[in-house]
Amino acid sequence: MGDNCKDILNKCSRCGGCQAHCPLYSETGRESFVARGKIELLENLQSGNLDWNDSLAEIFSTCLLCGSCTENCPNGVRADKLIMSARKDLVTARGLPIIKRNIFQHLLKYNGRLNKAGRLLSVYQKSGLQKLMRASGILNMLPLDLGKKESLLPQIVSKSFRENLPGLNKLSNPRFKVAYFTGCVTNLVKPQVGYSLLKVLGANNVEVVIPEQFCCGIPAIASGDIETGRFLAEENIKQFVNLEVDYVIMDCATCLSTWLKYPELFANKEAFDLAKKVIDINRFLVEILDIKIFSKELGIKVTYHDPCHLKRTPSGRSSPRELLKRLSPSYEFEEMEVSDRCCGSAGSFNLTHYDLSQNVAQHKVKAILKSQANVVASSCPSCIMQLEHSLKKKNLDTPVKHTIELVADCHQ
Amino acid sequence: MNEHIIKKLQNIVGKQYVITKAEEMICYSYDGTFQRGLPAGVVFPATTREVAEIIGLANTEKIPVFPRGSGTGLSGGSIPQNGGLVLVLNRMNKIKEISKEDLLAVVEPGVITGDLHQAVENIGLFYPPDPASLKTCTMGGNIAENAGGPRAFKYGVTSDYVLGLEVITPTGEIMRTGGRTVKNVTGYDLKRLMTGSEGTLGVVTEITVRLVPKPKDKKTALVIFDSLDSAASTVAAIVTEGVIPATLELMDKLTIQCVEKNARLGLPLDAEAILLMEVDGSTVQVNEDIGIIEDICKRNKCRKIEIASTLEDREKLWKARRAVSSAIVQLKPTKISEDATVPRSKIPEMVRRLQEISKKYNIHLPVFGHAGDGNLHPNIIADKSDPEEMERVEKAVGEIFKAALDLGGTLSGEHGIGVMKKPYLKWEMGEVGLSYLKAIKNAVDPNNILNPGKIF
Repeated sequence: MGDNCKDILNKCSRCGGCQAHCPLYSETGRESFVARGKIELLENLQSGNLDWNDSLAEIFSTCLLCGSCTENCPNGVRADKLIMSARKDLVTARGLPIIKRNIFQHLLKYNGRLNKAGRLLSVYQKSGLQKLMRASGILNMLPLDLGKKESLLPQIVSKSFRENLPGLNKLSNPRFKVAYFTGCVTNLVKPQVGYSLLKVLGANNVEVVIPEQFCCGIPAIASGDIETGRFLAEENIKQFVNLEVDYVIMDCATCLSTWLKYPELFANKEAFDLAKKVIDINRFLVEILDIKIFSKELGIKVTYHDPCHLKRTPSGRSSPRELLKRLSPSYEFEEMEVSDRCCGSAGSFNLTHYDLSQNVAQHKVKAILKSQANVVASSCPSCIMQLEHSLKKKNLDTPVKHTIELVADCHQ
Repeated sequence: MNEHIIKKLQNIVGKQYVITKAEEMICYSYDGTFQRGLPAGVVFPATTREVAEIIGLANTEKIPVFPRGSGTGLSGGSIPQNGGLVLVLNRMNKIKEISKEDLLAVVEPGVITGDLHQAVENIGLFYPPDPASLKTCTMGGNIAENAGGPRAFKYGVTSDYVLGLEVITPTGEIMRTGGRTVKNVTGYDLKRLMTGSEGTLGVVTEITVRLVPKPKDKKTALVIFDSLDSAASTVAAIVTEGVIPATLELMDKLTIQCVEKNARLGLPLDAEAILLMEVDGSTVQVNEDIGIIEDICKRNKCRKIEIASTLEDREKLWKARRAVSSAIVQLKPTKISEDATVPRSKIPEMVRRLQEISKKYNIHLPVFGHAGDGNLHPNIIADKSDPEEMERVEKAVGEIFKAALDLGGTLSGEHGIGVMKKPYLKWEMGEVGLSYLKAIKNAVDPNNILNPGKIF
């Protein structure tokens, strides 16, 4: 643990204020789930009173990194940063779990392999093999609830979004030139988000280039594998730094927040310059393009879920809402309760801690129901998948869409 | 802890509600202070019956029990000592009833105080006690410590609202005291005795509190003073002219400077004191009160006065007060929050003495607190990893208590004695008082099961 983290550790007075803001504490009522408990454990690790072991690994895996405790801490303790650093220490001390090591170090680093894995999964899902597996009951024999989790697997597209597209859509006299970082989920699971983005930007005279790119690195970084995270960040910076573009556009809140942290991984000029150009699609449409949308009267009620990774970036709360309001009268925006509460997805947390993750999500389901919205909008493909799953689990068919999909719908 | 006792506990509450893993127990070794103590087990009961069975078992087996709500206490009251069982009551978190007709609420001990506030305010009622940790702390903990808060000046503290309690005695029996009426003089007033007994005389499993109608309007004033004396005479004048603000908060110079450096709200760095006052009641009353306050502040030569009516504007003024906590720990990381309290008329003298103590021991001692009720909250800001400084801190704490007692005050206004103020208890209560307390404890808890090692 670095000196910086020791200073953060020292600032915690154990007031317990984090309890009021932690989605996992609110489900479990257990101190080991909340920042204060973890900080006490870190102090014990620091003083040599404890060593990393299985129990501690489990405890430190139970954090959504939603940042709510940090945002509300009266002493300004950056607990999310501490948890990340603890996971890094844990990896140094004990290595990564074998599944994660394989995914991060053998899959994420190689786009070819990632696409191939995606295609394999897609074949499994489309060939009838999945149906067969489900019907046979074999899935229920898998350990660790893997059978239940198999249904969480998103439907993978047979050909990735980026493979289907040219790298550049040239315009003769564009208003802006932008580069598009698609993120893995848009690329492999939700290509419709990418097509919507291209459609809207094209209609608004914005030239879009889609360079070769890698996973943003967050799955590795959040699991403490900083080395793989750095590798991916470096590759991405290499791909984007020489492009002559005004902005780098993201539709994924998580990728955006990772890119904004690249300068922390590399304190070099390229990382800083690029971080300045990085912008969320909602903010780009509202603040840079000041987009005007002429839509017909449909009166579809839409509510909005704040991705944790977007809400704390500049205009991260306001611009998606402003964008949705500009879709009136096609869509009528209605704020829901606890709109900025974490959905519980948190990367692979919804796989490793399925039941807890679903319990966190149920607060959103309740709020969505209460809002009586016909459609839920959000700005992070991971949140969207989580909300889709937890709504389906309650037999609700309310669609969950990316804001850009709704904007595209209004561009006929 | 003995295997067969763990089995019995698991039989009472269910296996998943007993913790014996070292790593998880460390997470129950602390509260809001820097005191520590490891338990030998942690148990989470869900019903009155379960609590009674656990205490009964503990009494038979002679295992000390340390009741705990959210663990936000500021005197070490819930910290386990020499092993023993931590009894966490946060699963008992139901609001059982809110009665508009009887003006009362019945709650379980694990209900978060702020949740009760919201529930009663939604239907036009009001539960005034508002400890700073209200978003986290539990009603059970508030009863155990007899919690106060900024609104105490006008509305009183927790014990002023307790109508009835259900209590598990230290031998594991269920007792009810008080009830649903404001008037009740049947037998000793045990609910008063329980309130503030710091978990040493019984475990509260159901609480009936009195409610009042919610005030219709509020106005807030932030007033800047060039001298501490004029701030103090302002407070005195407000009280003698018959205005009782709902809150009356004082910030001293060091606090103002910390806040300004940290939050940049435009507070003047050369000001000696700031008073933040809020009046509530009917619109007519609020307007009249704020007019009187404004007039008094001007007569006492305040430098500047700002008044806010809308929620948004009031929040702006409160920002300065809310920023204090995070601002002062920027000086040094360890905050020792004291709550020695003096009669209102002695506030200026107490502030002067605190400044002397700060100089004498060379420690940071920002003062901000509830000037209306004399509960000043001197906060010592130090670094717990510096043993030499912590020694000076300990001496300074002793002098703070001496000063408060000299001026006719008390060791603790609202945090309780716990383990932190134990050494000083005799100064205030004397031998006779102390042995009276011990006699009560021995009579109801002959095996010293409940929260041993606390208060005395």
